[in-house]
Amino acid sequence: MAKWIFIIDVEKCEDCNNCFLACKDEHVGNDWPKYSVAQPTHGQRWINIFSKERGQYPMVDVAYRPTPCMHCDNAPCIAAAKDNSVYKRKDGIVLIDPVKAKGRHDLVKACPYGVIWWNEEKEVAQKCSFCAHLLDNGWKTPRCVQVCPTGALEVMLCEEDKIRELIETNDLRVLHPEYDTVPRVYYKNLYRFDRCFIAGSVAVEKEGIVDCAEGATAVLYSDQAESQEITTDCFGDFKFDNLPPNSGEYKIEITYQNYSPVRTAISLKESLNLGVMTV
Amino acid sequence: MAEKKKPDKSERGEKTLIRDISFCGVPENGSNASMVDVKNGKILRIRPMRYDWKYDPEKDMNPWKMKVRGKTFEPSMKTLIPPYSIAYKKRVYSPARVRYPLMRVDFDPNGERNPQNRGVSKYKRISWDYALDVITSEMNRIKEKYGPTSLLYQCDQHGENKVVQACHGAGRKLLRQWGGFTLQIRQPDSWEGWWWGSKHFWGCEPVGQGMQSNLLYDISKNTELLLFWGCDQETTPWGWQGQLPSRFSYWWSELGIKQIYVCPDLNYAAAVHADRWIPVLPNTDAALYLAITYHWFKNGTYDKEYLESHAVGVDKYEAYVMGEEDGVAKTPEWAAPKCGVPARIIRALAEEWASKRTTVVIGNGGPGIRGPYATEPARLQGICLAMQGLGKPGANQAKMIEWGLFDKPDQYAQPKPLRVPYLRKAYTGGHPDESNHPSFIPKTYVPKAILEGKCDWYGCESETANRANQFVHYKYPADGCSKIHMVWTDSPSWITCWNSGNDYVRAMRHPDIEFMFAQHPWLENDALMADIILPVNTKLEEDDIGADIFSGQYNLLFPEHKCVDPLGESKTDYEIACMIAERLGLLEEYTGGKSIPDLIKYGWETSRCEDLISWEDLNEKGYYVVPTADGWEDVPAGFYNFYKDPEKYPLTTPTGKLEFEATGLAEHFPDDLERPAVPKWVAKGISHEETLETERGRKYPLLVVSNHPRWSVHSQHEDITWLREIETCKVTGPDGYQYHPVWLHPSVAEKRGIQDGDIVSIFNERGTVLAGAYITERIMPDAVYIDHGAKWDPIVPGEIDRGGAINTIVPRNTTSKNAVGHAVSGFLVDIEKTDLEALKRKYPEAFKRPFHPCAGPGLESCITGGE
Repeated sequence: MAKWIFIIDVEKCEDCNNCFLACKDEHVGNDWPKYSVAQPTHGQRWINIFSKERGQYPMVDVAYRPTPCMHCDNAPCIAAAKDNSVYKRKDGIVLIDPVKAKGRHDLVKACPYGVIWWNEEKEVAQKCSFCAHLLDNGWKTPRCVQVCPTGALEVMLCEEDKIRELIETNDLRVLHPEYDTVPRVYYKNLYRFDRCFIAGSVAVEKEGIVDCAEGATAVLYSDQAESQEITTDCFGDFKFDNLPPNSGEYKIEITYQNYSPVRTAISLKESLNLGVMTV
Repeated sequence: MAEKKKPDKSERGEKTLIRDISFCGVPENGSNASMVDVKNGKILRIRPMRYDWKYDPEKDMNPWKMKVRGKTFEPSMKTLIPPYSIAYKKRVYSPARVRYPLMRVDFDPNGERNPQNRGVSKYKRISWDYALDVITSEMNRIKEKYGPTSLLYQCDQHGENKVVQACHGAGRKLLRQWGGFTLQIRQPDSWEGWWWGSKHFWGCEPVGQGMQSNLLYDISKNTELLLFWGCDQETTPWGWQGQLPSRFSYWWSELGIKQIYVCPDLNYAAAVHADRWIPVLPNTDAALYLAITYHWFKNGTYDKEYLESHAVGVDKYEAYVMGEEDGVAKTPEWAAPKCGVPARIIRALAEEWASKRTTVVIGNGGPGIRGPYATEPARLQGICLAMQGLGKPGANQAKMIEWGLFDKPDQYAQPKPLRVPYLRKAYTGGHPDESNHPSFIPKTYVPKAILEGKCDWYGCESETANRANQFVHYKYPADGCSKIHMVWTDSPSWITCWNSGNDYVRAMRHPDIEFMFAQHPWLENDALMADIILPVNTKLEEDDIGADIFSGQYNLLFPEHKCVDPLGESKTDYEIACMIAERLGLLEEYTGGKSIPDLIKYGWETSRCEDLISWEDLNEKGYYVVPTADGWEDVPAGFYNFYKDPEKYPLTTPTGKLEFEATGLAEHFPDDLERPAVPKWVAKGISHEETLETERGRKYPLLVVSNHPRWSVHSQHEDITWLREIETCKVTGPDGYQYHPVWLHPSVAEKRGIQDGDIVSIFNERGTVLAGAYITERIMPDAVYIDHGAKWDPIVPGEIDRGGAINTIVPRNTTSKNAVGHAVSGFLVDIEKTDLEALKRKYPEAFKRPFHPCAGPGLESCITGGE
């Protein structure tokens, strides 16, 4: 049967926080009996937007990763609960029963993604409910998706084979596949958040005047992967993206017209702007 | 995506109401239509409005579509409301809400008034009767003693969008009936450079920004390069427009249109949309433009033929740029140290611009347009556009905000609607179009007028005054008028939004100001200076009528029903004006016998949509969607008509052409070195010394860039506590206080021993502002970024602020000698790590004041004796 999945496009998130605020608007001060008790006024982030600033001035970009409950098919919180106080619905949504789960502080630690929160006052573990109380009442999306202006957040009721097709065509990834929890939240363009780039600007000096070297060739060599080649743009800029962080040694070679090539070697940790390289 | 709920909602005690939740405060600028779900007298949720809730899009709305370059763009079926609207519940129930009339404890209208304690004294609750007695007897007293112009009425600037309940200026009509007053004129803020500069270059009344008609379509079809110049469309349009600009920005990238962002900070739009960030030092854009045009003149890469038929004074400008006038050629190498952009990047940008159909995109209030001498970068940007054939398809100046401003067809960047709903006639507030004789003061000059007792200036009769008005001389006190002795404000956000807020604080503590009263929903900013504060309710507590015309999607008209009862004893601004009118014996004259329901219906009758939907249908459906006009695709884009035929479609400049040498300035201000007839690089002058190359630049070596805030609309929403949980909203100090963030480049921080999260002091000779250090690569070295509008929380009123109200230390002088705009970005400061403990020892009283951990300073710190 069709089950809910969440698709989050990192590239389309500009951090407006509509999702974060709509979640609070819906759940702070509002009990939804059988589904959830009210969120405390502050502190809980059922959809949590993480930000990643990459690079160094002036080659910098920022990516945002909204992170709700993963509604895992192999949910550690359900396993930890043992007594059905956390359960999976037929439509794929994982819910914490606010009555049965009272006092179960251990559930907070059960989640490797850190998306379960403790409500001190109500003594209950809480998390994103996928706004199941609204979906069961005829809504087509949870609040966070409804308020998203750019389409960065999307949910759909999907059969398994359709999901596989979506993963294939959109290069979808889940967070921490190594946890083996089979999340139902998929990310598009996740490289913007968890991969890095090597960038730089090529300049050329002719008769005492320094100009941008448009059309220079930048080649990236590494032991782990095939070399990549980029032609610099009008500012002499090049940018190799989607590289794994902490991925070791790289060599970059710049060639421009008849000038002597410029080479540099780096050990890649985080995104790096090599600055101006003059041929 | 349709979220239709089961029909049992009313059984559950729920109802859904449509409201304009936007914050421009001017009736014709409504937007952000939202659905408010109300249950048991409380706001349950606020969500986007759906256009198709009661209408069939194909049948009723004539949906627009842009089909270009093999792709299609359509408006969303929901309104794209900003975070403030969604979280507005928190503003309604804010801990800073004023629920009862309050009076300063040490203010005695019959004895000691203690004006020197304004901003420090606490308040006590009083009755409405007593409050109105004091107000009206003070009005009558000063009228008798000094004449009615001794009352300064401050009623401009932004606020909740309301129509018949008029957020600002409900007293204007009343005060005229009472006998007169002195009006504070909101001089055109966020448009400074265009208003005081570009109008002398290309006309474009009343604001001076370029013609906008159909530019969203034109860009999508024809543009190859977009230069976002000091524009943050992921921030500035939110308050009174929403987030369609965000969707367009993503779409233009999908279409392969290159986006370059020229700004000192990697602003929120640049962070996600930029193909290239070109950092420029705050308020040095003039040098950059000059060098670009130098490169074009030198290489002949500009449209000479166009200039011959479309422009005047080009030779004078060329002579200045090439160094024939002053011996200094404005080469990229000349500009680089001034503006921080390497010469090679300037040349590459110039060549890219000259070789591609380029539109410059602006967004109001950017870092390049609100500084000292803002007239110069504004005109120079126009000159660059002109040199590349302004008005040809794909080459204009586009705005990402206020599509349809001032009801002008040439400002409709989005597909043209069949009608634009019009609510100005039912508006009970003051309208900017009014003439304001005999007595007015530009808002920028209020402190000067009070502190110095007299002043004079040119222009600014109103924020929509035309270019010629800039040559009219005015003075304070006006002939036959009084000095100011009383202040009535319904827009108390001067300190944190205007020029040198510390001067304003000193002015309001001046003994000449015998009485000051404020009406406002929240105890914040200037309200803390008032002797009496009247509680106003928020728009969700009032009946009204609204229109959404700025979204860029579809226009809407809707009656607005009260969502919840007024909190405490709060009233609407209009009701307060009525109560004062009643005591002055002017009620009948003031209201014209019209009740609130009468006014609301009158709003529909004069809405321009009364023939499209009946009053009954409007109320039954709850809203009306204006269809898109047929043939919207054919509306000429931007300056296209002028481009095609400048004789038939002249500009409103004296020559009808683009004036590289401004005729009006040459005639009226031939000796003005700060706004010369031909625009120039002005490093310093008699009004300002705010560049790094000056003596002062060595003393205060950092330039502040201060944009419109991301997490508030100017001063609004600082107490939406949920916003403060967002990483870039506030920095929590070791004392638990949430400080306003200042962005520092790691090199700037390191040099001063500042760590991320440290509390720092931003200072110059005008005062000190505390802030929380946010260390980031998103700001260039030698510049620091702090947005304006933070809630003022004085440690020493007029000297040190804890809240982060950076405008307390911006320049006190205006744009330039003869241009009375404010200069609130691009000014010099230094920064040091704050010794909080030492400060606490020095000012124990200030630090003992309680503050709300999540809402900042609020009622707790200001009220004595409980409510």
